[in-house]
Amino acid sequence: MTDAGESDEALIGRYARGDAAAFVPLYRRHEMRVWRYLERNVGNRATADELMQEVWFAVARDAVRYEPTSRFTTWLFTIARNRMIDSIRTSRQQVSLETLGYEADLVVQQLTAEPNAGPLAAVVVRDQAAALTQALGQLPREQRDAFLLQIEGDLSVEEVATITQSSFETTKSRLRYARTKLRELLSEHA
Amino acid sequence: MSKVPPSQEQPDDVDDQYRRASALDPSRPSEAVRRAVLAHAAQLVAQRATRDEGSMIKSTRRAVNPAWWRPAILGTLAAAALAGLVVAPRFLALRSLPATATPSAEGSVAAPTLVAQAPDTRTDERAASAPAAGPESTAKPRASTRSADMPTARARPKVNAPVRDGPAPVVAETASAAPRARGEAQSTDATGAGLEARQRRAPGNTSATTAITAVPRLGAAVTPTDAAVDPAAAFRRAAEMGDLSGLKALLEKQADIDSRDAVGRTALMLATLHGQSNAVAVLLAYGADPNAADADGTTPLQAAKAGDHPAIVAALQRYGAR
Repeated sequence: MTDAGESDEALIGRYARGDAAAFVPLYRRHEMRVWRYLERNVGNRATADELMQEVWFAVARDAVRYEPTSRFTTWLFTIARNRMIDSIRTSRQQVSLETLGYEADLVVQQLTAEPNAGPLAAVVVRDQAAALTQALGQLPREQRDAFLLQIEGDLSVEEVATITQSSFETTKSRLRYARTKLRELLSEHA
Repeated sequence: MSKVPPSQEQPDDVDDQYRRASALDPSRPSEAVRRAVLAHAAQLVAQRATRDEGSMIKSTRRAVNPAWWRPAILGTLAAAALAGLVVAPRFLALRSLPATATPSAEGSVAAPTLVAQAPDTRTDERAASAPAAGPESTAKPRASTRSADMPTARARPKVNAPVRDGPAPVVAETASAAPRARGEAQSTDATGAGLEARQRRAPGNTSATTAITAVPRLGAAVTPTDAAVDPAAAFRRAAEMGDLSGLKALLEKQADIDSRDAVGRTALMLATLHGQSNAVAVLLAYGADPNAADADGTTPLQAAKAGDHPAIVAALQRYGAR
């Protein structure tokens, strides 16, 4: 989890003490994870970009308040999830989570436009990515959220439970159902 | 805070499938988001530093003032009382004994009235007033020096704060007027070979010369046509010339910060090879990948060490370069 042997907690601490340089490796390290979590939950790239900016602005602003009693990723994904829920509540431009399959078409277009990928590779990538996006779109929201939190945030069941304010057992069930459902959907596709 | 891997369930094939598909998924957050986030983060640090310095000055004043004004007032009162004790008996003595006043006492007391009585003593008056004005005139510069110092002292944190806080883009830009001017002058008639030749000839640009000697291929990949047509090529050119205003302008136009030339060199690598430390600082602050190696596998840190650019080495290491 470290680029230069420095933990997330050390980097955010350095940033809070005024070392602007510490923010860059921190951002780079978690950029894709946070973005994928947001994008695959809201199902819209533009909204994910907006939320991404809000999340990291909040991280920069509240860095001085971060207390290393929990892992940085737990804090980061808590912020990300709260921002996402706020966004849904305020009914911003939001593609229905159940219409994520529609977004898969966009992914397909992007993948086929990838210059370095040959035709065969493009098909394979397209299929896998599209299948994944569609399968995620078919999960109930709570299950998808829990699964994405765990896999993108590299979080434990306990940490996911804390972030989602659910009990350990509920979280564990959601994760189990999510994986079972994803396995079914992906095997159907295969 | 624990770095122990999270207590997940057993590794799942679904997780593997998810990760494989994610790795193949080219979707990414936009460059604009990254730039906005990193610029905002750097700006916040600079603002915090300025605010902290300001509050320190205020708190210092609060702490100093009470201790200062009491002795000052007491001293003034004591001096006035002493003067009263010394001067008052003389006035009283003169009024009561005008005929017996000594010449020296008479002169000293009558001196102020001479100015009004004798018109031809103006020269003397001016001469006399000159020394009187002397202390004032010497006092004024002192006062003005103080008043000039005060704002300087207050302004100092604003100027220094970003420098202390790292290579914030704005500061780096202001700190490098010379390279920018040089870069702009060069960019007026930019031709690839001509630029390099000029850089070799440029006095004081020994670091760039060293870098060019060390890396013979430098600049060969970007042609003037590329720079004119391709924003990424123009961006790399601006980086290697240390043209900070050009860099910033192109970053605002969404130029890919980690774009590569034909031999895999990013703008950061080119700036490093040319010893453009300010350009390196700007690129790092805007999120350039500090570990982006070229086609030969040389990283910017290795290039900076080989080119003997300790400032760039330090900057790269601060941003996690390996």
